[in-house]
Order: sequence, then structure tokens, then C-alpha cells
Amino acid sequence: MISYLVFLAVIGGIYALLAQSVTLAWGMAGLVNLGLAGFFGIGAYASAMLVTWGGVPVPVGLVAAVIAGAVAGLVVTGATLRLRDDYLAIVTLGFAEAVRIIASNEIWLTGGTDGISGIPGGFPRDWGLGFHAAWMGTISVLVFCVWFGLRRLSASPWGRALRAIREDQTVAAVAGKPVARMKAEAFAIAAGIAALAGALYGHYGSYIAPELFAPLVTIYVFLAVTTGGNGRPSGAVLGGYLLIAFLEATRFAAGAIPGVTALQAAALREASVGVALILLLHWRPQGILPERNQKAPLV
Amino acid sequence: MPDSFLFGAILQALINGVISGTILAVPAIGFSAIFAVLNYPNFAIGALASVGAYGGLVANTVFGLPLEVSLLAAFATAAVAGIVVEWVAVRPLNQAGALMMAIASLAAAIVLENVIRFFWGNGLRGYDLPMLRDVQFGAIRVGPQQVKNFGISIAAMVALWAFLALTPLGRAMRAVADNADLARLRGVDPVRIAAVAVALGAGLAGMGGMLIGLDTSIDPLTGPRLVLSIFAAAVLGGLGSIPGAVVGALVIGMAEELTVLLIAPSYRSVVGFVVILAVLTVRPAGLFGARA
Amino acid sequence: MTLARRTLLLSTSLLAAPSLVRAQAAPIKLGTLTPLTGAGGPYGPVMAACVRGVVDQVNAAGGVLGKQIELISEDDQTNPEAGVRAARKLIDVDRVSAIMGTWASSVTTAVAPLAWENKVFLATVSGADSITLLPHNGWLVRTQPNTTLQGKKFGEFAVAQGAKRIFVMMPQTPFTQSQFAAMKAAAEAGGGAAELLIYDATKPSLRTEVDQAMRFRPDVIVAGGYTPDTSVLLRDLYRASFSGKVLAFAYAVNQAMLGAIPKEVVEGVMTLAPSPAAGSGGYAKVQALAGTQAPDPYTCQIYDHVNLVLMAMAKGGATTGQAVHDNIRKVSQGSGESVDTALDGLRAIAAGREVNYEGASGPCDFNEIGDVLDVKFRYEQVKAGALTLIRIA
Repeated sequence: MISYLVFLAVIGGIYALLAQSVTLAWGMAGLVNLGLAGFFGIGAYASAMLVTWGGVPVPVGLVAAVIAGAVAGLVVTGATLRLRDDYLAIVTLGFAEAVRIIASNEIWLTGGTDGISGIPGGFPRDWGLGFHAAWMGTISVLVFCVWFGLRRLSASPWGRALRAIREDQTVAAVAGKPVARMKAEAFAIAAGIAALAGALYGHYGSYIAPELFAPLVTIYVFLAVTTGGNGRPSGAVLGGYLLIAFLEATRFAAGAIPGVTALQAAALREASVGVALILLLHWRPQGILPERNQKAPLV
Repeated sequence: MPDSFLFGAILQALINGVISGTILAVPAIGFSAIFAVLNYPNFAIGALASVGAYGGLVANTVFGLPLEVSLLAAFATAAVAGIVVEWVAVRPLNQAGALMMAIASLAAAIVLENVIRFFWGNGLRGYDLPMLRDVQFGAIRVGPQQVKNFGISIAAMVALWAFLALTPLGRAMRAVADNADLARLRGVDPVRIAAVAVALGAGLAGMGGMLIGLDTSIDPLTGPRLVLSIFAAAVLGGLGSIPGAVVGALVIGMAEELTVLLIAPSYRSVVGFVVILAVLTVRPAGLFGARA
Repeated sequence: MTLARRTLLLSTSLLAAPSLVRAQAAPIKLGTLTPLTGAGGPYGPVMAACVRGVVDQVNAAGGVLGKQIELISEDDQTNPEAGVRAARKLIDVDRVSAIMGTWASSVTTAVAPLAWENKVFLATVSGADSITLLPHNGWLVRTQPNTTLQGKKFGEFAVAQGAKRIFVMMPQTPFTQSQFAAMKAAAEAGGGAAELLIYDATKPSLRTEVDQAMRFRPDVIVAGGYTPDTSVLLRDLYRASFSGKVLAFAYAVNQAMLGAIPKEVVEGVMTLAPSPAAGSGGYAKVQALAGTQAPDPYTCQIYDHVNLVLMAMAKGGATTGQAVHDNIRKVSQGSGESVDTALDGLRAIAAGREVNYEGASGPCDFNEIGDVLDVKFRYEQVKAGALTLIRIA
């Protein structure tokens, strides 16, 4: 049971990182990145390929993953920042699908649908529970660092200007803010955080494959962020952990329903995720931890 | 490959693309119509297409209704489901912004997909429909069922056009889409118009789901498998533009078929994405979009 | 405890007083991890139900080693991330001794390290050749035949049908390339040629893909996908009036597909599935259990998983994963009495006899890395809307 909880804390931390990526792009800059799974995948592949095939140490792989994610983020924004929010959302959704299809089909580059197995775990796997505890520690620290960094960024002049852009980018532009550059910066940092989460997941779990980066991950993270509150890094962290707690709790609840087949229990379990979110949105549309200052001062 | 051979292959692929694009246009119009009036992307569109496909299935195989009537049943089932989604999940959030509403529709999509799964399972289902071989015209072959679906899609679009252009309700809907504030000043009831738009949009999605099901088989993922193409078509044409959705769907349909010939069949979905990226770089609001 | 006494106790518990023992011993925990939602959804529910059926039968007959079996069925959502979470729960919370039925190769590869690190036995139906090459040290067996072998059999069967030009249409999977290479080699050995087209399995129409295929002028088309995409492909082949032969995997052209698409579309399609030797009773047992004339190959395989796991426990006299690991080959192969169900096998083991399980999906003899040996194939053809046996070879 303890190993299960430790494992969930690691996965919750991965989702908390992803959720913070969404908070930065969506909550602070108003950019909806439905291609989150794509950046998660780029980071996972960048680090896994470098460390497993190239033999570099895990920390180097993690840094490379962040850079790869950020560069991919810049490429995507370069093409899409002039678009309205809803267009951006759909274009990024297509981007994630493109990443998944390329990872599946360019076997010479990625290993194809076989994925990459035996990715080094950073810590010795024969530590058993110690291995998982070490990862829980590492990821918790990284979640904290990103949370701390985002709070600082949010409070900085850059963060205030970003929220001003989110509220009204025309006014912000008139006030002299470099709108396109700042949006691109925010999006790239967010993409880098998502890539870091992907790289960590690969090293911890030792295996990645294109199917890992299906839209399911993106959907879950948006549920997490909406639950926690999309305007605050604390909300994102809370949402990430709550999401995993909820997903796992439904497993036990579904197992306890009498008179349904395994398939029906699975269907009820998935449906409950949607129902919970709808209820939560009614109850607290701003999430559990709403943004403190609703409107940012312009200057 | 000799030139005439390649020419024939491309022509055939384009015809296939026009047919699949026309069918894709039906749910894409639905998506765009909801966007035009309610100003949010309804991510439940794929699940609503599945709901329609199963509604039509029940009408066809349980009640033994002919396919044309079953298509109306598909429309009606999805329209009702769409209204329920709108009222229960989305509408309470209309102060929280378009993207919150989009997330709520995504949550509703998960629920709808699993309601279908709960009652019908994951297995394939098929309509009670004879299979027809394609007809050969020189080097080109066309399927009778495809042509029929093509015709039904065109008829649905003409009916929609007539509704929007000729009826007071349709004109009011267009007025809201053009300028909601102005429409309200003129005494148009926005709640009623929103309901009509959702019913229409979801209904078309459901009809589209069944049309595609007629051509293949259906399972709970029939609609969700389509969403990327629907989104690509609507965005390409310009969100909220109904003619745009039609043109977008045709372009996506043809681009995907040409990919099979010229690039690789496994990259069909990617090409749709590349096309929208290319068009949006030149026209950020899509081909027919007014609002950038 | 001497062997004789243990045997006596076992036979008592198995045959004489099951209800008495049931009240006392902690149950044996087994898990299934099959796709109940997502792309594998057409397969997983039937698989889980089949294991439930076997477990109910064995429990009714007194269980294993005097213990009842508790089955926990989890959903891998056809996604390795969700699959790993489900496996963790099965291993850490439920403390299962074995996990059976992982389907997607990515899920199996992701779950396998958890299994061997925690001494939980894993039985899978996944196809990727790389799976049995993982450093699993005997903690994994796979009942799905090696994909290269399947490709070779497909190719040889096509050549035997008189094919000179074989066109292979498959989605991108971990075994697409290796399977095609084997088919191509078999085709070329028979003086023919083969070509591969990898399609996008999410598309509602494959007309242009079929046109591509027709331009190759094939006399055999191999439809190598799963049920939903193969149903699209078969329809488009029918519309294009393809007059050659169509070969497909039996897991794609299964009973569920036959019920969902028009008869004329699947008429004449030939299928291939791993099989035990002709006359083996395992297949008939699954037919009865699943209530269908043509049980899915995956269902046959998971039937074998649960039977093997239960017998290995009985053989080892313990209900742990370790016991399954150490004893599975003692019940799956060798010169013992041939059995095709755990009910018979448990009785024989309790009586001190050696057993050799002959399953529903094959003889279930495993090599050292966990791949099946000496598997036969069952060739069937759809005639008048039903799968009819051509031969087993």
C-alpha cells in the first residue's frame, strides 16, 4: 500500500508539473495549449533518446528536454500567435496529433510504435521502495521549484504585463507591451515545463511509446487545472494531485458497484470523471483556489 | 507511372475527397453553427456525432425504420443530447469565458461517450443496409451509397441555407451571430436562439455521425475519431462561418486523399494540420472568417 | 508435510469439503488488465468475462489449494500511463499473484518491469517481438505467436492459395515491419512479390488506399488491422470489386465483426489464428464459455493464461507469483497427462500426476524467454456468414 501511495505521489507530481505548464500559458497568458501531450512527448523522447542511446547523464537529458520543448513551443507560436485563442487551441491539438503520428511512423528516429524501453532511471532500480521514494523526493522538489518560479514570475512586472495582455491585448499593445514576444516567451516556458514532465515520466517509468501521448493526457491535465483554479500555480499543483487521487478513487468505487460488468464499471468510472468536473464547475467555476486579483493593473 | 495513369489516380482521389469532404461538412457545419451563435468551440461535437449514430441505429434496427427516417432520428437524438449538454454543463458557465465553456463541453463529451459504452458496449454495430458495388465510369469509380450520402449531405445543407435565409427564426439566428448586442436591441430572444443553434448544430453532428456510420460501422469512438478532421475543416474555413465549414471540409477531404497518393497514407491526419497551419499563416481568421 | 499428506489434503479440499475450507483461507488474488475503453475496447471486455467464467467454475469446484480465487478486473484504457496506474493498484493494493491479458504492446512493455520487480507473474497477448526480449527473467509468458512466425505463415498460406502478388495493408504497429518482412520473404520464396501500405486506422474511408492496392494488381490482399479499421477496409475492397482473395487475422474478422457488417462483404475472407492441434478440447471449452461458435483468439489466449496460472500454483503448492514463475513450464509442457482445463488439471495435480496443458490458443509450450513453441495455426474461411474451418496446420 505504501509503495502504491508513493507511486501516486510521483505521478501526481508529473501531473502537477503539466498543470503548471497550462497555468502559465492559459491562466496567465490566455493561451490555450491543447497540444500539451505533444510537448510532454517531445520532452520524453528528447531525454530518453539522449540518455538511453547517447549515454549522457539523466540531468543532462532533462535539461535537453526542457530546451527541446521550449524550442518546439517557439516554433508552434511562431506560426500561431496571430491567431485568436480558439484557433490556437485547435491548431495545438493538431500539433500534438502530428507529434504522435511522427513518433509512430519515423521508426529510424524514434523506434516507432515499439517505443523506447530500458530508459535509465537516474537512481538504482534495485532500491525497491527507496527508488520510488527518491523519485518522489526529486519530483516534489521540482514541482516546488516550478511553483516558486511561477509565483515569482507572476508577481514580476513580466507577469503583470502578461495578465494585462490576457485581459486585453490591444490595450496592452497600446501601452507599449511587446505582445507577441511576451506571449511567445510564456508559451515557450510552458512548453519547456511540459517537456520536463515528459522526460521525468520516461526516466521514472523506464518506458515511453507514442501511445503515451494520446489526447487523454491533455484532457486529464485540463480537468486538473480547471479543478484547482487556472489562474494560480498553487491551484494547478493542487489540481494535479487531486486529479490522480480522484482517478484512483474511482477505481475502488467502480469495483464496489454490484451487478455491472467489468466494461460497464469502466464506463461508469470514465463518465464519473466528466460528471465530477461538470459539478465542480458549477460549484466553483474559478476552481478550488481562484485567482486572487481578478483584473490585473495595466501599468 | 505513366502520366495518364497518375492523372487518373489523382482525379479518383479528388473525387473520393469531394465525397468524404461533403459528408465531413455536415458535422463541421454543426460545429461552426454553435460557434457562430454561442462563441465557444463545442468539444462535445464528436460525442454528439456518436450519439446521433446510435440514435439512428436504434431507429433503424430496433424500430425497423427506413434509413431516411432514421437519419431524422439521428438528428433528433443528437439535438436533444446537445441541448441537455448545453443546459446542464455549458450554459451555467457563460460568464466564465469561452474556454471554460469549451472545457465543460469536453467533460460532457466524456460522459456521453461512456453512456453509449455502458448500454451498447464497445463492439461494432452496423445498419440494416444492402451493400452496393461501385459503378465504373471509364477509369473512375463511384459508390452508389457514397453518392446517396453526398446527396443527403447537400440536401441537409440546402435545408439549412433555406432555414437561415428564409425563416424569421433563421434570420434572427444570423443576426445574433453577426452581432449579439444589436440583435438583442431588436428584440431577439438570445436564449431561444441559442437553443435553436445548439439543436441545429448538434443535430447536424448526429446526422454526420450516422452518415459516416452508413459508410462504415459504428462504435462509441466513431465520433471522437472524427473530431480532428471536423475541427480542421471548421478552422480552415473560419470558425463560425457556415460556407467556410463546407469549403474547409472539402479542402481537408481532398488533401487527405491526395496524401495517400503523394506522401504516405499514415500521414493523412498530419496533412490536415499542415493545411490549416499554412492557410492560417496567410489568413489568421481562416478562409471565410470575418473576426480575427 | 510429506508429499503424500499434502496430496491427501489437496484432494480433500478440492473434492470433499470445499465450503468448509472456503470460510477459512485467504483467497488467491488474480488480476486481469485488459482494455475496456479506448482503441482496444472491442477485445478487453470479452477477455475479462472469459476469465471470470473460468474462475467461477474453479471456485465452484473448490478452488485451488483449498483457497477460493478472487478476480480483480482493471481497465488499461489502451494507454500505457493509465495501464501502469492500474497495474500498480493490482500489485500494491490487491496484491495479486498474476496479471493476465495485457493487450496493447505499449501497455505490456510499460507494465512488465513492475511485474518482475514485484514478483508478479505477467501473461500477455501482445504481439511486439521486443516484449519477450525484455530482461524479465521468466516473469512473463506470451501466448500470441511471435509475429515473424505469423507473417511467415500468412505468406506461405497466401502462396499456397496460388498468390503471386501479395499486397499487405496494415496500420502502424510494433509488428508491422517484422510481419511484412516475413510475409515478403515467404512470397518471394514462392516466386511472388509483396508490397506494404501502412494506413491511418482512424479514418472512416480507405477508398484511395484501396485504389493504391488495386494498382499493384494483387491476387491476395492481407488486411492486417484490428476489427474497426478492418471493417472499413473490407467494405472498401468489396466496393472496389476486388476479385482476389483476402486474408485477415482472426482477431479482426471475429464473431463481433460478422454480426456488424453485411454478409457479402466478409464472404470468402480467410482468417488465421494460433491454434492447438486438431482435436484438442480447449477451443471447444472456450466456445462453450464464451457462448459463441468462433471465440476471439485473444479470448482463447486469456483462457489459457488463467488455466496455466491456477495449475502452476497447484503444482507449486503455493499461491504466490513466485510459484507461478517456478512451475508454469511444469504444467504447460512435458510428458504429463494432457489436460485442456484447470478443472481437470487441478484434479490430476492433486492426485500427484504430471500434467501437460493443451490450451485453446495452442499447445502452450514456452521457450526460455516466454514465447510459445510449436504453435499450429487455424485457417478458417467465412462461408455463408460464418467462420468455417479449412484446416489446422
